[in-house]
Amino acid sequence: MSQTNIADTSAGKRVMWTYMLTGLGIFFLMVLVGIAMRAAQAGWIGIDPGTFYSLLSLHGIGMITAMAIAGLGILWYFVSRYTPLNQGVAFLAYGFFLAGVASVIISVIPGHYGALWTALYPLPFTGTYWPNWATGAWLIGNSLVMIGFMIWCAQILGALLARFGGVRGILAIDYVFKNREFTQSGKEPPPPEMFAAAITAIDGFIGGTAGLLVVVALIVHWIDPSVAIDPLWAKNLIYQFGHTFANLTMYMAVAGVYVGLPMCTKRAYHTSIPLAIAWWGTLTFVIIAYFHHLYMDFAQLQFVQYVGEISSYLAAIPVVVVTVFGGVMLVHRSGMKWSVGSMFLFAGMIGWVVGGLGAVLDATIPINIELHNTLWVPAHFHTYLLEGVLLFIMGWAFVNLEQRAGSASSLLTRWLIGTGMFGGGALFLLPFYIAGADGVPRRYATEPTPGPYYAGVATVGAAILLLGFLLAIIEAVRLARSKNTSVAA
Amino acid sequence: MQSTLVLEIFIGVAGLAIVLMLWLANYRSSDPIPQADVSATGYAIRRYWLWTTLIVAVAVFAFTVPQFPYQKAKADANARHYPVVAQQYSFSMPSTLPLNTPIVFDVTSKDVNHGFGIYGPNDKIFSQVQAMPDYVNHLAVTFTVPGHYTVRCLEYCGIAHAAMQGGFDVK
Repeated sequence: MSQTNIADTSAGKRVMWTYMLTGLGIFFLMVLVGIAMRAAQAGWIGIDPGTFYSLLSLHGIGMITAMAIAGLGILWYFVSRYTPLNQGVAFLAYGFFLAGVASVIISVIPGHYGALWTALYPLPFTGTYWPNWATGAWLIGNSLVMIGFMIWCAQILGALLARFGGVRGILAIDYVFKNREFTQSGKEPPPPEMFAAAITAIDGFIGGTAGLLVVVALIVHWIDPSVAIDPLWAKNLIYQFGHTFANLTMYMAVAGVYVGLPMCTKRAYHTSIPLAIAWWGTLTFVIIAYFHHLYMDFAQLQFVQYVGEISSYLAAIPVVVVTVFGGVMLVHRSGMKWSVGSMFLFAGMIGWVVGGLGAVLDATIPINIELHNTLWVPAHFHTYLLEGVLLFIMGWAFVNLEQRAGSASSLLTRWLIGTGMFGGGALFLLPFYIAGADGVPRRYATEPTPGPYYAGVATVGAAILLLGFLLAIIEAVRLARSKNTSVAA
Repeated sequence: MQSTLVLEIFIGVAGLAIVLMLWLANYRSSDPIPQADVSATGYAIRRYWLWTTLIVAVAVFAFTVPQFPYQKAKADANARHYPVVAQQYSFSMPSTLPLNTPIVFDVTSKDVNHGFGIYGPNDKIFSQVQAMPDYVNHLAVTFTVPGHYTVRCLEYCGIAHAAMQGGFDVK
């Protein structure tokens, strides 16, 4: 199986840009919601607790879904370069995503649902301040997103298994264990981005199944409240889906590095044995790493707590080390010219390392006792999402736009965008970490001191980050239009 | 105390990683060399780097296992047990607890999930456990510093989550 038969199809690009622009559009709206919440925590604007938790519910699921939609679009395009894919299936999944988002918005905006996206049973049924129909709309919206995700996973997994020779082929098992025979026969392992697609599809399908199982149980309880649910069972499944879905957004987006960085450096990112094994680690452990969300549930089976800590390490560390090391090797003395695209892709790797470090520390049980459900938790996943996943997605988009336009952005533009996205990002994220280490709880509409002080600094940081993001969007539009201008000329 | 150290480690290691990655990206960037030359050295370093990080991860895991909180409640059969019941939006618990005495909180909830987060007199998190309906979580602690301890809910439980707090005196 050769890697050289790459076909850039218009269908692939259509799906990619549709997904990517939808994801970035939702992201922009969710940033506005996030800034409003941090400003309220700082005491700068007044938002009552009920509205705050409704916004927090929307912000949580909105951000994760936005990043997922964008990442799935990129992966779909990458897979379509190796094997024909039916774009109708991609748009069917997209329809489910949009229907799910619409249902969630209805449950929150007129409905005032406010039990967060990881509602822990007996929430969202006990002590509610919203009408019963809003709970139903929320649960149905969640299930639609999950169904859309699983449609995507099924299509991609089927295509990959057919194209690369089943599970042995797509996971490069023979390449690792019978390397000499494999390479002497002229075969090639799947390219790195196909590992990202395969692991997303396999673990995503497992996570989606867990998510649907618990959401269906909650819908049954919504219809018939006499049907009881075990709270610990529900908590395990909610976090199995929630953690896996959120974590996979990184593994979706990192595919942009595998393909985009070689375009910037004019070098090749090859699959290697350590890379394949690292992805096996992610495949195996990312679905059980969620146990770290239940460290403080001492009633949980004890061996599971041990598994949670070691799985959290092994799901992330090998693939980060191998991928980031490979990425740095790619750039090192390549003569690469910095552009917005290459800057975002490289900075995204830094954000992945920094956010991953924050996550690994929090996944260490004796440390988690002091950090569990403090602002340290949103600190690390905001780093991961804003300075990792988002940058990979935007980096890949910019690499494409720069290539189409045949030009890059000016130094001043890069500096302005970089200052906004990285400087604003740091100013937004550092207060999260410091306040978390100080014990300020997460998910508080009104935070105890010193929370409001840090929230104020973070609000300024987020506003600067938003300016950087908007500047990047303006620059992206300029690059897209400059292609048209040159064609016309 | 520990969380401050964690923050310092985080900032130090993250800062080092940022500086190292930027330096490697920009080092003699205007003097390119073939990818094969970088790969030859890079792959050799990567092998050691990967093994080193994995060994460190396993070592950290082994080091932290004895500090896990799960067996502590069973370890001291003579510890005094105190019931804690959480419900939207208050805690039912003793108002005074003994100093330098092993105690176990038997924590549960009457309605939804809550967090039983104990903040010391210095307003830092001393310990915590979840309060879940239908289950009892046993949290073993020994207070060595007298004073007033604040209890905050550390699991989202509803509209007055941020206002759900209580406290007790240790003397």
